[in-house]
Amino acid sequence: MITIPVDGPGGSTVYDARTLPSNDNVNSYSFCIDLDGEWFTAAGAMIAYYGNVDFSGVAAFASRAAWVASRFSSPLYTQDWVVASGQGKLVIGDRGNDINSYDLEVGNLTIKAKNLLAFETGLELKQSIVPGFLTLIGTGKFLASSVGPVIFVEPPFRADPDALLGWADCPSPSVHYDHNWMAQSFMAGIQGMFGRESGEERQYDFTGAGTILMQSSELLRADSALLRLIESQTNLLDANSAGTLGHKLIARSQQQ
Amino acid sequence: MNGAAFEQVNKKVVRTDVSPGGEVIARRGAMLGYSGGVTFRPISGPGGVGGMVGRAMQGESVAMMVAEGQGNAYYGFRGLYVTLVQLHNETLTVEADRLLAHHAHLSTSVEMIGSGGVRQAVRGAMSGQGLFTTKVSGTGSVALLSHGGTFEIPVDGSGMVGVDPQAYVGHVGALQIDFKISAGVRDVVGRGSGEATQLHCTGHGRVYIQASEEKF
Repeated sequence: MITIPVDGPGGSTVYDARTLPSNDNVNSYSFCIDLDGEWFTAAGAMIAYYGNVDFSGVAAFASRAAWVASRFSSPLYTQDWVVASGQGKLVIGDRGNDINSYDLEVGNLTIKAKNLLAFETGLELKQSIVPGFLTLIGTGKFLASSVGPVIFVEPPFRADPDALLGWADCPSPSVHYDHNWMAQSFMAGIQGMFGRESGEERQYDFTGAGTILMQSSELLRADSALLRLIESQTNLLDANSAGTLGHKLIARSQQQ
Repeated sequence: MNGAAFEQVNKKVVRTDVSPGGEVIARRGAMLGYSGGVTFRPISGPGGVGGMVGRAMQGESVAMMVAEGQGNAYYGFRGLYVTLVQLHNETLTVEADRLLAHHAHLSTSVEMIGSGGVRQAVRGAMSGQGLFTTKVSGTGSVALLSHGGTFEIPVDGSGMVGVDPQAYVGHVGALQIDFKISAGVRDVVGRGSGEATQLHCTGHGRVYIQASEEKF
C-alpha cells in the first residue's frame, strides 16, 4: 500500500479515464487528446492511452481510407507517422519537452518536422521547401513540442536556424549572412582559427506580416526524413561531385 | 527599465536591447534571434590575436562574440536554464562554460579558482570544474546557464557552506573556496557516498548552486 501525495507542493494528481483533461495539457510536458475518430500522431509520441484505440501506419491506413493520402501528402514522412483511430484518451509527450496545442483556422503554419507530434485530420500536411520543415494547411488542432516555452515574435526578425521552431502566415524565410561576422571569421581563418565554428553568421530572415515561433536552441536531432530528402537531392550531382561529397562526409563522421 | 538590462522571457531564454554603448557579449552559438540592425562579431579576448592564443594556451575554450548596433536580441543555449544574476559593483566568479551573456560595460578577466599554483590546478581537474573561471565585475546583470535552474545560498561569515563541486555554478563576493577531500577506505574500493569531494565556502557573499549535478 502506498500513499500518493495529492495536490499541494510536490504532490501529484491521480488521473483515470474520466478525469484526464479533454484536449488539454495534463502538465507542461504532456497533452491529452480526447480521441473520437482519427488523429495523425508521430511515431513514438504516444506515451499512454485509455480506451479502444488502434494505431496503424499511415501507409497501411491509407489503403483502407482513401482520404488519408490526400491529407498526408508528405511521402518522405509516412514511415514516421501513424494514424490513431477509435475512441479513448491519448496522452502525448516528447522527452520532457514543453508541449503546446495550436488551433489553425483556414490558415497555414510551417514547423520543424521533429517537433510536430500530432494533428487533426482537418489539416493537410505538406513538405515545406525548407528542408526539415512541414507545413500544415486548413482548419484544426495540432500539437508540437519545444525546448522551453514557445516564444512568439513578429517580423522583421532574424532567427538562428537551431532556435527556429516555425512560422505562420509570413512568407518563407530567406537566408541572411552577417557580413561583419564573415569578414572577422575570414581573418580568424587566416590567423589559425582557434575555437569553434558557431554558425552564427547564418540566420533565417523573416519579412512581411505573420508570426515566428522560437524556442531555446537544441542539439541537432537525427531526422531520418531529412536524411532521405538530402540523399534524394544528391541526385542533382554528377558522379564525380557525388564522390567528392562522399569523401567529405566520411571525413566529417570520423572527426566526431 | 533601462536599456542595458536583460529580460527573462522564460526559464530558458532571455532578451535584451542592443545599442551603441550597450553592446552585448555572449557565448558563441547562443544567439537565438534578433530584430533591428544588429551585427555579430567573434571576439578573441583582450589583446586581439595574442589574447586568443594566450587564452587557448590557458585552456579556456569558450569562444565569445559581441552584438553591436541598434535593436534587440534573444539568447539561450541548448535548452539549458538561464538565471540572471544582478551585480551591484561586485565581482561574479563563474565557470567559463556557464557564462551565457552580459553587457560590454562589465569587465571580465580569466582566472583560476583559488590563489594559484600547481596544487590549485590539480584541484580544479579533480573537482571536474573547468580549471579556469571567468570573473565578471561591475554593475549590471549577467545571464548564467545551468541544468534545472540555479538557486542562491548566502554565505555570511557565521559558518561554512559546503557545495558539491558538480552543483557549483559560481559565486559573488569575497568568498574563500576550498576544495576538501574526505576520502576513506570505502571510496578507494568504490563504495563511497559520492560526497567525498566538497567545496567549502567561507567569507561574505553568495554562492550559486544548480539543482542537478549533471555536467555540460
